[in-house]
Amino acid sequence: MSLTALRLARFSARGLARDLRAADVRALFVALALAVAASTMIGFFLDRLDRGLERQASQLLGGDLVLEQGRPFDAELRQTLEEAGLVLSDQVDMVSMASLGDAFQPASVKVVDRRYPLYGGVHVDLGEGTEVVARGPAPGEAWLAPRLALLLEAEIGDRVRVGETELTVAGLVEREPDQSAGFGNFNPRLMMHMDDLAATELVQDGSRVEFELLAAGPPDIIDDLAPLLAQLRRDGVEVRDVHRDRPQLGNALERAERYLSLAGLAAVLLAGVAVAMATRRYVDRHLDTAALMRCFGATQRELIRVFSLQLLWLALAASAVGAVLGLAGQAGLLALLTAFLPMELPPPGALPLWLGVLTALAVLVGFAGPTLLRLKKVSALKVLRRELDPLPASAWLVVAMASAVFGGLLWLYSGDLGLSVGLLLGGLVMLVVLWGLGSLLLGGVLRLADRLPRRGGQDDLVQALRLGGAQLARRRTASLGQLLAFSVTFFAMAMIALVRGDLLTTWEAQLPEDTPNYFAINIQPHEREDFEATLGSAADARSALYPMVRGRITAINDLPPREAVPADARGDNTLRRELNLTWRETLPEGNRLVAGQWFDALEGAEPGGWLGQVAAEPAVTRVPISVEDGLAERFGLRLGDTLTFTIGSEEIVGELASLRNLDWDSFRPNFFVIFPPGVLERFGHSYITAFHLDAGETTTLRELVRAFPGVTLLNVDAILGQVRELLTQVTRAVELVLGFVLLAGVSVLYAALTASRPVRAHESGLLRVFGAGNRMLSRVQGAEFAILGLASGLMGALLAELATAAIYLAWFDLAPRLHGGLWLALPLGGALLIGAIGHLLSRDLRRQAPAASLGLLGET
Amino acid sequence: MDMAPILHAEHLAKQVRSGDRQLTILSDLALSVFPGETVAILGQSGAGKSTLLGLLAGLDLPTGGELSMFGQSLAALDEDGRARLRAGRVGFVFQNFQLLPTLTALENVMLPLELSPRAGTEARAREWLTRVGLGERLDHLPKQLSGGEQQRVALARAFVTGAELVFADEPTGNLDPDTGERIIETLFSLNREAGTTLVLVTHDHALARRCDRCLRLDHGRLETLHLDEVSA
Repeated sequence: MSLTALRLARFSARGLARDLRAADVRALFVALALAVAASTMIGFFLDRLDRGLERQASQLLGGDLVLEQGRPFDAELRQTLEEAGLVLSDQVDMVSMASLGDAFQPASVKVVDRRYPLYGGVHVDLGEGTEVVARGPAPGEAWLAPRLALLLEAEIGDRVRVGETELTVAGLVEREPDQSAGFGNFNPRLMMHMDDLAATELVQDGSRVEFELLAAGPPDIIDDLAPLLAQLRRDGVEVRDVHRDRPQLGNALERAERYLSLAGLAAVLLAGVAVAMATRRYVDRHLDTAALMRCFGATQRELIRVFSLQLLWLALAASAVGAVLGLAGQAGLLALLTAFLPMELPPPGALPLWLGVLTALAVLVGFAGPTLLRLKKVSALKVLRRELDPLPASAWLVVAMASAVFGGLLWLYSGDLGLSVGLLLGGLVMLVVLWGLGSLLLGGVLRLADRLPRRGGQDDLVQALRLGGAQLARRRTASLGQLLAFSVTFFAMAMIALVRGDLLTTWEAQLPEDTPNYFAINIQPHEREDFEATLGSAADARSALYPMVRGRITAINDLPPREAVPADARGDNTLRRELNLTWRETLPEGNRLVAGQWFDALEGAEPGGWLGQVAAEPAVTRVPISVEDGLAERFGLRLGDTLTFTIGSEEIVGELASLRNLDWDSFRPNFFVIFPPGVLERFGHSYITAFHLDAGETTTLRELVRAFPGVTLLNVDAILGQVRELLTQVTRAVELVLGFVLLAGVSVLYAALTASRPVRAHESGLLRVFGAGNRMLSRVQGAEFAILGLASGLMGALLAELATAAIYLAWFDLAPRLHGGLWLALPLGGALLIGAIGHLLSRDLRRQAPAASLGLLGET
Repeated sequence: MDMAPILHAEHLAKQVRSGDRQLTILSDLALSVFPGETVAILGQSGAGKSTLLGLLAGLDLPTGGELSMFGQSLAALDEDGRARLRAGRVGFVFQNFQLLPTLTALENVMLPLELSPRAGTEARAREWLTRVGLGERLDHLPKQLSGGEQQRVALARAFVTGAELVFADEPTGNLDPDTGERIIETLFSLNREAGTTLVLVTHDHALARRCDRCLRLDHGRLETLHLDEVSA
């Protein structure tokens, strides 16, 4: 006999069509479809989000590549970039005075050329309401931020003076596509055309002007330019590349992305377990088929081809259904997150679809492969001697294969080999521990069941527990397999639910009701007390008042900064601009010391120590300072390194005494560098603070504005609202994904209980024969399932507790905590869930006559 | 008979190890079956009838001796080679029917046909099921059929490929006498029509007497019985 490829395909497809009547095939289908749905849903969504964020990042940055330096860029560089295929646009940024009549106001001037903007549009009111235009002001025109227009009392058509020229106010600019956030730039915007720059005579030797060269082009061109960009960085040009320097995603979104990936993997793992359980039954059921086919002349190779093809068709069909579900799911995720995503996301790409199909095939090969090979080993003689079943696949082979495949998927999805290997090894160790623990538990159940009093009638609950427990424990191998599968299921479900809860709690704690919604800057030292008094009790939460001194880093370890820092940090903004420095006696709220010691713990902090010396001879004494850990990492700084600051005309040398980690999303003033008290006080300084005012507190606000005209008040309600909205939406997305994981969990329960149905049918048939009534059977089965659920819940809780602790530390940067409720909820929930599903699934078994139940063995 | 035997065994032996002991099930056994013959192998329970049938059909390997089917030595073939030799040429009828529970009667009969490249699979299977009187029960699953009906499906399946050689292992063993009688009728009528060679293992003397030749397996060897030695 020989089967041509076409016949083989047809034969296997027909076989599968017939097989759809079997519960295990349906369970396999559901599990695979869920694996594909979970992975494609999350894959589609993250892929679109990623590409959307990249596009948005390009827009925020102003181009795919942005070069910035203090002098104009030369023609040679322009030529190189243009020849490489990039579209260039020039921009000049500076702070200058704008005036109209008697009104003068410092403005943040942005000079743009005719190509501006490379991405996105400008929201501008040109006299007929706000519109979005893809251009900047024309030559001779100026566009003003509404605040600047207000301060200058300028209207459209007025002539404002900038430097030595006058420009016509032609528009009020509401939003720029390439707006960089942050509080560094407090002066309102004035936008003008490049052609007018010379006439202003603002660009002089020594004037503080930033020249930017913005470039747009595909990633591969920018990748090809890497050596040139590295050279530019070394030359002190700040190079921002959208593909490398992605703007920092909010912590919340980054954690949510990780959560989604984790949940996706949990769903895939659960689907894998379900596939493994369903395959066992599938193979058991097909042993006779395989033996018969051997008799009728099929070779081993043909057997394995036929069954592999059958499962391949199944996997492809499940992939199609899963992909549709995944597409719908990602649309759902997107709908939930739509208000937060300001950008139009690109349509779903094909990559996640292939990844989904690949996932289904990998899950099938990994979790079903070794078990499936058993079919190949069937002897034709089995048709004459039924007991001649091939040996089951070694449990270790099954676990090893599944682990290898799951490890591969982990790697594929996380892109982190170390993490994948770590998780996998941890998982395997846990499996061995669970195996031992499970054996002990089953042994305990058997001993306990033996000790239960043998009394009472058929309706007795104790009797049911005794029989159910004994049945479970005596069916040792099968029960152990189920125990492990259910433990892993409960573990994955619990972990995803736990992490969700903890993420939400952390997010809520991050932005409580009274998160500051106003920043006040430029508070003069003499206004400080009055300001605090005026604010009084109206503000229900406020940060401390931080003094602010402007200073520039002029040396690192006595070397010019650009020579001291790693090559790729040479163009860093922090090295070119003045930093806001502060002093403080205690560690600010929300800051966490990650290295070194705070000032009060340092040697010499006592009176007469370094503080006295600094006061006497500040220029030569090293002052301990505390630096933000991110900055230290960028500049390659370690404890003990020195930073020289030029403040006014003086130099102060700071020695790194501690590193701080701080939460940039906290809506409180944050500082890169903090000095101890007693050093900076003699320099000119103002204060900054953040506080929360209820929307109704307009009186206090008016009072503040009236009493302190020099103080700038910034309202961040809009940003705060956006962040809050983001958290709410991310929460909903997280819940949707949790739902998927729970569904995958239920598919495992279904697959496992389906797989054990024939054996249970046989057992209940026998019990019937020996005189057990329906009620008794129902109770014994219920007890058995409940004990199984209880034990699985206990082991699942242990696993979840250990795993969440590890994940928090390694992945989410959260402190681990003990979840007391878990130890109660999981065993009880497990007993109820398995008890209920199991009881329900075996309801028709109890209705059958014993003969039918006994005959059921070997059927669907 | 001048023609070459379809099955030929010489010095056939089968020993199995049971703990420390070597059990001899068959020893120095000789047999030739010629095309078109019907041969019954009788024996007590445990005499090794099913073991012999397994060897003759190439489902298992002897520990000694020579065995050939369709003129091809089975020792020279591996398990896959023996399977290929059987494909489409050998049919089986089992005591426990061996129908696949998830397949309908029609699908069960189609199974061996689908393994060999032949056109009109379904029509052929329908025709054979009609011949065994189950034309109205094509779509029934095995559990919806009686024992006798299941065995008739198995008979249709054994003959549907146009097999040259059919092995039957206690075909009436699981049936009541009346049903068994009807099954025997059907089996021999199909066999006559198809001109198939039939080797059946049984302890049912009524069935054995209908065969051209009767052999008794005793202490691992075969001896020829005259038909009058086969008591009713």
